[in-house]
Amino acid sequence: MVDLGLLGLTMQHFIDNMVSIPLIQPLIDYLLGIPVIGFVVAIILWRPMFALLIFPGLATLMTVLLFIIWFERKLTARIQWRRGPLEVLRWAEGIIQALADGLRYFFQEVIVHRDAHRPYFLQFPILIFIPVLLPLLFIPVGNIVGIRTPYALPITVAIVSLIPVFIVAIGWASNSRFAYIGTVREAFMYFAYEIPFILAVVSMILVYGTADMVTIVEKQSIPGIILNPIAALVFFISTVMATSRLPFEIPEADQEIAFGPFVEYSGIMFGLVMTIAYEKMYILSLLMSVLFLGGGNGPTIPLLGDLSAVIWMFIKTMVVMVALSFLRSIYARIRLDQALRISWTAMLQISLLAVAIGVVLNLANVV
Amino acid sequence: MSENVEFLGSGIFAPFKKWGTKWSLWPVHLVTACCGVELAHAYASGYDGERLGSLNYGIARQTNLIIVEGAISRKMARVLKITYEQMPDPKFVVVMGACGLKGGLFWNGYHMVRPSDVVPVDFFIPGCPPTPESLLRSIRALQEKIMSGKAETTISFDKVDLSEIEGRSSAARPPTTPKFIAPTPSIKVDVPKDVDWEFGKKLVKEFEKDLNGLYNSITITAKNRIAISAEKKNIMAIANILSKRFDHVKNVNVIDLPHENSFIVEYQVSSYSDKKLMPVVVNIYARIPRDNPRFPSLVTFWPSADYLEREMYDLFGVWFEGNPAMGERFLLAPDTPDFPLRKDRKLKEEEYCFCEVRE
Repeated sequence: MVDLGLLGLTMQHFIDNMVSIPLIQPLIDYLLGIPVIGFVVAIILWRPMFALLIFPGLATLMTVLLFIIWFERKLTARIQWRRGPLEVLRWAEGIIQALADGLRYFFQEVIVHRDAHRPYFLQFPILIFIPVLLPLLFIPVGNIVGIRTPYALPITVAIVSLIPVFIVAIGWASNSRFAYIGTVREAFMYFAYEIPFILAVVSMILVYGTADMVTIVEKQSIPGIILNPIAALVFFISTVMATSRLPFEIPEADQEIAFGPFVEYSGIMFGLVMTIAYEKMYILSLLMSVLFLGGGNGPTIPLLGDLSAVIWMFIKTMVVMVALSFLRSIYARIRLDQALRISWTAMLQISLLAVAIGVVLNLANVV
Repeated sequence: MSENVEFLGSGIFAPFKKWGTKWSLWPVHLVTACCGVELAHAYASGYDGERLGSLNYGIARQTNLIIVEGAISRKMARVLKITYEQMPDPKFVVVMGACGLKGGLFWNGYHMVRPSDVVPVDFFIPGCPPTPESLLRSIRALQEKIMSGKAETTISFDKVDLSEIEGRSSAARPPTTPKFIAPTPSIKVDVPKDVDWEFGKKLVKEFEKDLNGLYNSITITAKNRIAISAEKKNIMAIANILSKRFDHVKNVNVIDLPHENSFIVEYQVSSYSDKKLMPVVVNIYARIPRDNPRFPSLVTFWPSADYLEREMYDLFGVWFEGNPAMGERFLLAPDTPDFPLRKDRKLKEEEYCFCEVRE
């Protein structure tokens, strides 16, 4: 055993809390025996670090980003009787199309126009990754979780609510007409969806009687979508609004206001801001599968150990994301005033109904 | 080799740069002419340009390809240049259609610009309009150019021995240049028409009473249409009287009659405030000499005539005395030749030549 004495932590500290995968356990044991590599493997397989780096963290996020952008274009193409991206990798139906686009963006010029507020214009697309990536620490997959706290759900919702503030700041720093219109629309939509969204989450906290996401997943012998289907509906529609998918793609409407807040970005900066909506969609889909679809619950596969929860969670998240992508190709965009009317009347009312159901279930102590 | 392609082929990241750009050529929406229909066809179901990783995109900042769709006028040339400069490097230009290549149908128009004079062009697609297949072929050719660094033509034409044609009889020769200035017959603006329109006949009687001595003739030319012919010196007086009943000018029109050495200037007035007069359009017209085209401006009676008079000055050079904006360019681009719609403007003539086949 190697003891690097890093901040008083020994290697044994990581090994005690390691992801267990019986299938490749011999390989892990062998790697742990090698001096430096063993330490790296121990850190990567340490549960909080696994949550951060592998699932639901960085590696899965990147894979999902590459996949969902390709999938969305492909699905839209199929619905329009086309083939969609194909020639870039013909035998795999062009699945690496988003990678080619990303590389092209990466090597393109980044233009900062004269009217922009230069420091903020360049900072915000990078700073926005703080609220986008932080919630991943709190989302549990089985017993793999970055930080376990009784306040995980409120913290996650609070951090996710910060994202539109950054988008408004991006629009302000762009200092262009289209960016201004898009920013105002974003602000309107923010107020409109945030209240039903928070009420839906509050109703689920009432149903389970706790805000600790690990406990919430453990308590879901019946999935939340059956316990409180109205809250699930409100959560889903709020997710569509929050990630500005069609039919609520109002702040970024590219045909009328040319991507709103993001109009002035080019090159890799546009690559960064364009993925914000997809990353937010990933986080909210994870949250939806935790709250309503039972998170990592599912038939355990003994050989995979902790990974079976990962697989179930991944499948549930992808189902939600695919459903969200599907909306894009079948709906037309509705106007801002229509969206505001929907959210301030119908959605607010049914979210209050969802809270009432939550109160009843909480008093009856069903879960 | 253009510097964009040079940039893609340099450095240790060259394979990644070339591969990424090759499969991600996004054309910006800049539809200037009818070739845009073929572009839409090329990207819709059937041909599906998105197979090649090429996606039509809304904004210049996030794209790297302009497909110039056909004719570029002097004003659109500026738009094209601005759009090109808005795009981040590396960027490419493909020009579609005969108009973009050599002017096409509008080859001797006063307003035409060749796109190759404005932006550096990577590929031309001949055709009027080119088919979707040839558009996709150009994108393939551009991909090849990005990968290999060399632009190669994808079409070769058969050579024709023109000396055989020269030896034929004169009947087989191409036609001579058409004469654009034909002797125009006299244009009559007030052709009377017998229509069942009681109100109109009443209106004509009222006009005859009101405009006593100011007009030459008052004619009903169709239902709801009345034409008043007058001398230039009486126009202001007529407008003064008619502006009490008719509140706006619908149109100001100039007809060029080079063989009679005159212009006809028409004002078509109507009303938005009086419901009975709403469908009625009254045409007040006068002839002015062509060598001294001056006409009193009616802006003081009908402010809506302002822009129309300025446009007529742009196109025909009729000087409306009293309009404050005379002498300025209004609608045309600054470098357009003067008064382009006058019929005696000399157009560039077509030339046929019989050349030897070059080996």
